[in-house]
Amino acid sequence: MLRKIPIAVCAVCGVFMAAQYFIISGPVSDLYGAVLDWMQIIFVCALLAGILQVVMSQLKNIARPGSGRVYSSIALAGIAVMVVLGFGWGISRGSPFLWMFDQVQAPMQTTVFSLLAFFVASAAYRGFRARHAESVVLVLAALIILLGRVPLGEMISPLVPQTVGWILDVPAMAAKRAILIGIGLGMTATAIKVIAGMERTYLGGR
Amino acid sequence: MNEIGTWFTALVTLAIYSFLYRDNPFYKAAEYLLLGLTIGYSLVVSIKTVLWPGLVLPLASGEAAKIIPLLLGGMMFIRLFPGLKTWSRIPLAVYVGAGAGVSIPAMLKARVLQQIGATTANVTSLSGIIMLIGVITTILYFYFSREHKGILRPAAKIGTYYMMIFFGATFGYTVMSRVTLLIGRVEFLLGDWLRVITP
Amino acid sequence: MNIDRRIIFVIVALAVAIPLVVPLDLPVAVTDETRAVYDRLEMLDSGSVVLVSFDHEASSLPEVRPLAEAIVNHCFMRKARVIGLALFAEGTAVGYDILNDIAAQQGKVYGHDYVYLGYRPQYTAAILGMGESIREVFPTDYDETPWEEIPLLQGVHNYDDIDLVISVADGSLPTYWVEYAQARYGQEVIAVLTAVMVTAYTPYVDAGQISGILGGLKGAAEYEKLIDRPAAGKRGMDAQALTHLAIAVMIVVGNVIAFGARRKKKTAVAGEHAV
Repeated sequence: MLRKIPIAVCAVCGVFMAAQYFIISGPVSDLYGAVLDWMQIIFVCALLAGILQVVMSQLKNIARPGSGRVYSSIALAGIAVMVVLGFGWGISRGSPFLWMFDQVQAPMQTTVFSLLAFFVASAAYRGFRARHAESVVLVLAALIILLGRVPLGEMISPLVPQTVGWILDVPAMAAKRAILIGIGLGMTATAIKVIAGMERTYLGGR
Repeated sequence: MNEIGTWFTALVTLAIYSFLYRDNPFYKAAEYLLLGLTIGYSLVVSIKTVLWPGLVLPLASGEAAKIIPLLLGGMMFIRLFPGLKTWSRIPLAVYVGAGAGVSIPAMLKARVLQQIGATTANVTSLSGIIMLIGVITTILYFYFSREHKGILRPAAKIGTYYMMIFFGATFGYTVMSRVTLLIGRVEFLLGDWLRVITP
Repeated sequence: MNIDRRIIFVIVALAVAIPLVVPLDLPVAVTDETRAVYDRLEMLDSGSVVLVSFDHEASSLPEVRPLAEAIVNHCFMRKARVIGLALFAEGTAVGYDILNDIAAQQGKVYGHDYVYLGYRPQYTAAILGMGESIREVFPTDYDETPWEEIPLLQGVHNYDDIDLVISVADGSLPTYWVEYAQARYGQEVIAVLTAVMVTAYTPYVDAGQISGILGGLKGAAEYEKLIDRPAAGKRGMDAQALTHLAIAVMIVVGNVIAFGARRKKKTAVAGEHAV
């Protein structure tokens, strides 16, 4: 019985939210607005529950001997700093919370992602091989975009940016459009399966 | 204060870049610090800008309708208790079902119908014909319900070439994106920290 | 030829650093895509309401910040009223900073010329909710000022009162703006994107679902040229160009070396067979 309730709830919510798109009515609009509000609260509570689980797992790491406890302590210290600053001094302009975000968190995040610039260059040198006709096309397209979308391309010839524009507007767009249509149809089918109870992976392991 | 911040940021930036030489404790420490800061940030922003004004304050002022999201949200925390996990599936079901329901008309209209309409709108020009061929052949490439034999084989092959152009273009733009991030960090190190350039 | 990858890393680092120290001042030509966005914003009347949604993470800041600053600058130059919000947690602080910084430079008054509503999670629900009532989704602004105390927001109920939505994104959020705001409510949307997302959105522009896209640091440089406010976009173009050239050369050299090695191997094998 407990397994069937979520499936029924999912079906009712799904059918209602799909149907309300076509129904113009005050009470239906009100209920639709309420469900949207519930989705936001559920999302935030799921996020907080996840954060609690992460904190608990880091605490377990600290209780275990080994180098992991140092790193887990650093992670928990980071959480504590942001929580104390945020709830203690607020999150408005000029607050220590925003200072930490601007001066420490955001630059660190950018730095981690900027590592990819090095790895993408290394991968391009080692792995980007034009062995077959398809890979020749791939490499050529990449080279044209690499040079064409920076001022160098315009300096080589005015044809370069025009070629880039055509590549993006016709063949590349055609492939992306086909992928979009395919994904749209696939996701619609999956959504129908979820509402009909045929797809239950969101229930976890059943 | 900003000077301290600049120095601290520069040191953690170099700690992260030390990974390029090899994995080391400084990089790991910086990674875990970032993890903690990001989690703390999300926690504070979610509570202060969503839960507090969206749930706590309305409940405190007597808005009875907020009891339902309170119960649904509260059930999510039941996941932390292994024996009672089943009850947390109900808010998940609301969330997933509602999301699936709104997505059906939206995706069908925006991703399928309007895109098909745009593909067939301009078939009188050469570019329009090339576009139409590209869309059809790429879709046929992904049609795996039948073996790619006969007419399907060359059609799927043509679709492959279109996709190679798309992936090559995407790679070029991906490089552009990643390099921009690196430019930002190097500008900080040379400008704000070492003052070799004026940022 | 197997080069230690750390040598490649050094080449990339130098290709980025050298033009920052010794600027090349390469000219930036404006593309049709950027001009289309510029022309659309030039059509904004004084008092138009523009919703700028900061739908990105902190990791893409070096790309997103120049783009967002250029676009917000232009909105204020057109005397549009700007409502800022974020559908990603990290975009919250970034958007708050950018909006306040640019507003201060342009002498704009909070609550009258611009307002920042803050963050809402679950973007589907937020975008759809604003189609019915923006106030229901954001009962207060980021600083917890109630809706009724903010002059700009009086008379703004839902998308009917919004002239343009600009999504500043590093991921798939503009797709949701198209699917839920544009498709259902007819809301006009412009996407301001990191370069990696540009190829994903050209079909939407072609279909008329998005009015324009502005992408990458190059897009920021072009836009800065159009509004005559050179900034981070222009500064980064030299480094961008040289690094791209370095990577392109590495790809070509790698392929030439691999091709040569394959030919040598083929000749050696053919020679063995002949013997």
